[in-house]
Amino acid sequence: MRSLRNILWLTGKELRAIRGDRVMLVLIAYVFTLAVWLVSDAASTEVDHLATAVVDEDRSQLSARLTDAIRPPLFAEPVPMTAPEAAAAQRAGKAILVLTIPPDFERDLHAGHQTTLQILVDATAVAQAGNGASFLRQTLAQELSAALAPRAVSSDPVTVVFRNAFNPNLTSSWFSAVMQLMNNVTILMLILSGASMIREREHGTIEHVLVMPVRPHEIVAAKILASGAVILAASLFSLVVVVEGAMGVPVAGSLALYAGGAAIYVVAVASLGLLLASFTRTMGQFGLLVIPVIVLMILLSGGMTPLESMPDWLQVLMRTVSPATHFVIFAQAVLYRGAGLELVWPEMAMMAGMATVAVTIVLARFRKVLAG
Amino acid sequence: MQPVARLSGVSHRYGAVTALDAVSLEIPAGVMAGLIGPDGVGKSSLLALVAGVRRGQAGAVEVLGGPMAERHHRAAVAPRIAYMPQGLGRNLYPTLSVVENLQFFGRLFGQSAAERDARIAMLLDATDLAPFPDRPAGKLSGGMKQKLGLCAALIHDPDLLILDEPTTGVDPLSRRQFWELIARVRATRPGMSVLTATAYMEEADRFDWIAAMEAGRVIATGSPADLRARTGAASLEEAFVALLPAAVRAGHAAVPVLPRRDTGGRIAIEAEGLVKRFGAFTAVDHVGFSIPEGEIFGFLGSNGCGKTTTMKMLTGLLDPTEGVTRLFGRELGRSDMTARLGIGYMSQAFSLYGELTVRQNLILHARLYGVAPERRLARLAEVMAEFDLAEVAEAMPESLPLGIRQRLQLAVAMIHEPPILILDEPTSGVDPVARDGFWAVLMRLSREKGVTIFISTHFMNEAARCDRISLMHAGRVLEVGTPAEIVTRRGADSLEAAFIAALEAEAESVESGADVPVPAPGPPRGRLSAALTRAYAYSWRETLELARDPIRLFFALLGPVILMLAMGFGISFDVDRLSFAVMDQDQSAESRRLTEGFSAIPQFGETAPFASPTELQTRMGLGGVTLALDIPEGFGRDLHRGDVPEIGLTFDGAMPFRAQTAQGYALGVLQDFTEKIAAEEGIGTTSKVGFETRYLFNQAFESANAMVPSVLMLILMLVPAVMAAVSVVREKETGTIANFHATPVSRIEFLLGKQLPYLALAWVSFWVLIALGVTVFAVPLSGSLAALAFAALVYVTATTGFGQLISAFTRTQVAAVFATAVVAIIPTVNFSGLVVPVSSLGEGGRIFGLAFPGAWFQPVSVGAFLKGFGWPEALSAAAVLGVFALGYLALAILSLPKQER
Repeated sequence: MRSLRNILWLTGKELRAIRGDRVMLVLIAYVFTLAVWLVSDAASTEVDHLATAVVDEDRSQLSARLTDAIRPPLFAEPVPMTAPEAAAAQRAGKAILVLTIPPDFERDLHAGHQTTLQILVDATAVAQAGNGASFLRQTLAQELSAALAPRAVSSDPVTVVFRNAFNPNLTSSWFSAVMQLMNNVTILMLILSGASMIREREHGTIEHVLVMPVRPHEIVAAKILASGAVILAASLFSLVVVVEGAMGVPVAGSLALYAGGAAIYVVAVASLGLLLASFTRTMGQFGLLVIPVIVLMILLSGGMTPLESMPDWLQVLMRTVSPATHFVIFAQAVLYRGAGLELVWPEMAMMAGMATVAVTIVLARFRKVLAG
Repeated sequence: MQPVARLSGVSHRYGAVTALDAVSLEIPAGVMAGLIGPDGVGKSSLLALVAGVRRGQAGAVEVLGGPMAERHHRAAVAPRIAYMPQGLGRNLYPTLSVVENLQFFGRLFGQSAAERDARIAMLLDATDLAPFPDRPAGKLSGGMKQKLGLCAALIHDPDLLILDEPTTGVDPLSRRQFWELIARVRATRPGMSVLTATAYMEEADRFDWIAAMEAGRVIATGSPADLRARTGAASLEEAFVALLPAAVRAGHAAVPVLPRRDTGGRIAIEAEGLVKRFGAFTAVDHVGFSIPEGEIFGFLGSNGCGKTTTMKMLTGLLDPTEGVTRLFGRELGRSDMTARLGIGYMSQAFSLYGELTVRQNLILHARLYGVAPERRLARLAEVMAEFDLAEVAEAMPESLPLGIRQRLQLAVAMIHEPPILILDEPTSGVDPVARDGFWAVLMRLSREKGVTIFISTHFMNEAARCDRISLMHAGRVLEVGTPAEIVTRRGADSLEAAFIAALEAEAESVESGADVPVPAPGPPRGRLSAALTRAYAYSWRETLELARDPIRLFFALLGPVILMLAMGFGISFDVDRLSFAVMDQDQSAESRRLTEGFSAIPQFGETAPFASPTELQTRMGLGGVTLALDIPEGFGRDLHRGDVPEIGLTFDGAMPFRAQTAQGYALGVLQDFTEKIAAEEGIGTTSKVGFETRYLFNQAFESANAMVPSVLMLILMLVPAVMAAVSVVREKETGTIANFHATPVSRIEFLLGKQLPYLALAWVSFWVLIALGVTVFAVPLSGSLAALAFAALVYVTATTGFGQLISAFTRTQVAAVFATAVVAIIPTVNFSGLVVPVSSLGEGGRIFGLAFPGAWFQPVSVGAFLKGFGWPEALSAAAVLGVFALGYLALAILSLPKQER
């Protein structure tokens, strides 16, 4: 009872400390509003305005028609070039795809000869090149069959109905907005909780707290509660007002369930922040330590590139040490696919487990670290 | 004789706070001049203005015969002034040894190696630091730090020596040695002027000339004897109080030394054989004492003798290695909560919450100490009245003068009315008036309430007020007794003399008393060689510091490796085994053939079929299925009849990139299938057009091949920039930036000197990353490695320069780290070709990307690995990167003020 009261009062103190830190408040406000919106539109791994050059050695009606078929948004307006120009452009990274239409293409085709269209792909743009090439092939094939058999309603023996579940138009900002939100939770939580510990150490206040009749777990709990509550509230606000409201991203699942999972995640990351802080003496050192951790947690969370594309050992490693991978699976399942508790509880349990382990280590190190 | 410095109408403000208010003053040359007054009256600002480290705001400051507002004059007199800022060892580098510190200062004044070595040897000899040339400055005691600071200031034979509270927090013996040293220096260099600020009145009493300051104004000047005569006071301390304006003086009264009441002889604190070892070092060596209830027990000793460690053991903050502590007969255990309720503790540094107001601090502590809710408000009022805090109840502690802050700390320590108070140097740095006020409260607590007070101090007049004192040295207690007893026992005439005698008896090295001979100044050196020496001073020191800081070294050397491994393996666009599931309602040969078409290619991995759309919903909901194929009943029949059957493909759109990739492969499979069927059935037109798709530069189409060169660009942006930014801001934070302000080093020497080690380190990282890319990730290197290495060298020059530019605007290390990371990462990740090719960016994004060096280096890095780039491409990129490097340097020079504002 006394312990609970102490936690409560210390939490109040921590909240005041956050309120007093103007820079941090501005950062939180910026990151959960503008930044979510800005970054969600920036880098995407989808094919989008891919720079394409066309080497048209046929100069026929058909070749012109094919060139016209290459259009935004998938491709940038194609640039006509000669073969050497195209090679140079591709080397310089100015063209990702080069389509070469051979001489006498249209004539050969009408004469019933086999001809070949060549697509050269700059494979150094790995994210887009593969899909870009296959979309280009698709576009050209469609255009060709439309040009050659205009009257046939369908020349295909099979009709395929494509459907994209959860995101019908594969709008990239739906995905990136939510992932960005999750990244921001990770970044700010690590910094905020770690900073709350180091600030006390730098100012010598933690020593003062330790001579009071307050136990280390009360101090730790207060720090996690206060910083966690702030970030959780900010992220829910951002999800509802910015992502769902302003950006119009539909959120499929239960907000309450998401909040529950996010609360567990926030506790896990806050504990991790405290753990990192226990290895450093100053904010500067903490910053140097936390940046690689942030980059790793975010890049390898499965929120940037699919988890299953990583080597197996790395997947296993990340699932074991990083709560972020579980949170990404959890959040994608709940927010996009409307999954319920019965589907996502294992992820929640994993995050809770990690939080427990981190808090245990922090408490074990607490006295030793502060004394030294 | 010309005054060494003349101030007329000088005012200085920090925001709304006025530090100096129209001060006009002439400081005589060739004498010991002093500034006295409470803290926060503007002494430090005045000294900084005279030293030229702070830019003047209003009024004229003339030093050594010229105006300090003029850059040329400042540059000309800088080598003749030495400035030692406030704080123990504040301008020293803690990880550098004694000699290394002095070497650094010698280089800053452009001295040659021979001249430096000669001067350092003489200074160390004269200051008794000679036995410890290799001890890190951070491990020196307070007194030794100040001696080393003085050596650093004297290394260039200054004509004006400016010392800002050099002896605050230093024990009496070290203090005396410090002043003896100054006297000897002055004996050999009679022309030297010394200007000192001090809080110790007995020290100021020995100066030739003093200026008393109060609230940004000079209230009196003259020799100490003058001031005493003018006020008719016996001591300078009393004279100073008498000189104060009536309003300030009103609260002051001499501390009454009241007799102690007999409290029945209960023992409040009893320590027996306390030992504390840190590794091999014994900080406290069998210390024991017993203190009766209600006594004021003074704890004296040299700096670093184990006082603080002993006090921490008494409070239970540290567990002793051996020995026991009893509080009122009860043994103090580990994490003893009840015992803590009986102790009030005040640590050396201010340790209350700066973000809470005075009242909030008091309430929080009342709660945590379990003051009953119904008693809380009453107690709060009592404490506010007792410690005179009512007026500042709503103020933030940071905004209060040190004296009031210390009263607040005492109030907090007393909030739960503990019978024992343990106070660790509570009055260090506090001015005389505030100190007396503080002691009046202590007296009252002890005499009226019977509180036992255990207090450590460096002030002898405070020690004299204690009932009993103990002298501690090197972890052991030398003397315990009443002040009078100790004076008699040591045969001394004052407590200070007794103290010094006790310490001197212990100290092995006897004061050498050697004079400070002035070495002949070296031959004048060329401007360039002096400039190079100064720049090298920073490079050399930065390298030493870096080599001794494990966290920064970890970040600089292992950070890139970890990031490269994680990103090389982690950012992969190679898609294989995308999970797909089928609902085959036809179960015909054709439907199986279609399914096999999917499972045949490595990009798809078949999972268990699903039986209903609901099941699919669930499985896709968990992310277990990326692609679902729905084949209707009658699919095979329809196909043969020439009817066009309809199949459904559902993708998990939650991750658009993955869905798009799956679509691409699915289209290929379907096209293949329909072409075969069409050929077999003889329907439709078989296309005569073939497609030849060739993947250039990366035939295997492996993510790692493309990511490794791009990640190289990202890492060489992020890590060197953060390191360089931290290197400058660290100096601002620790205060060593004062050396940059106070010495002749120029901005360009400072920046280039500091940049060089990081540049070299980043280039080493480059080679490590290249080795990693070629071995671990097996990326072929088709172009010229030498050309790439050259471009990388220019690139890291630009990125370290970028970090330095950021550091000019930031004040704290944490701000520097995050500002650099945020500013560097956003354009580098999004607009430099890491994920999205620059050619696919919109106009805005492309321009934004090209405004940072990353977008220029990325094509060269990728090109040298995969496209066979050689010198021509590398040189043209290097030219642009070189412009970035120069631009960043120029901007950093412009934004880094040589003087503080």
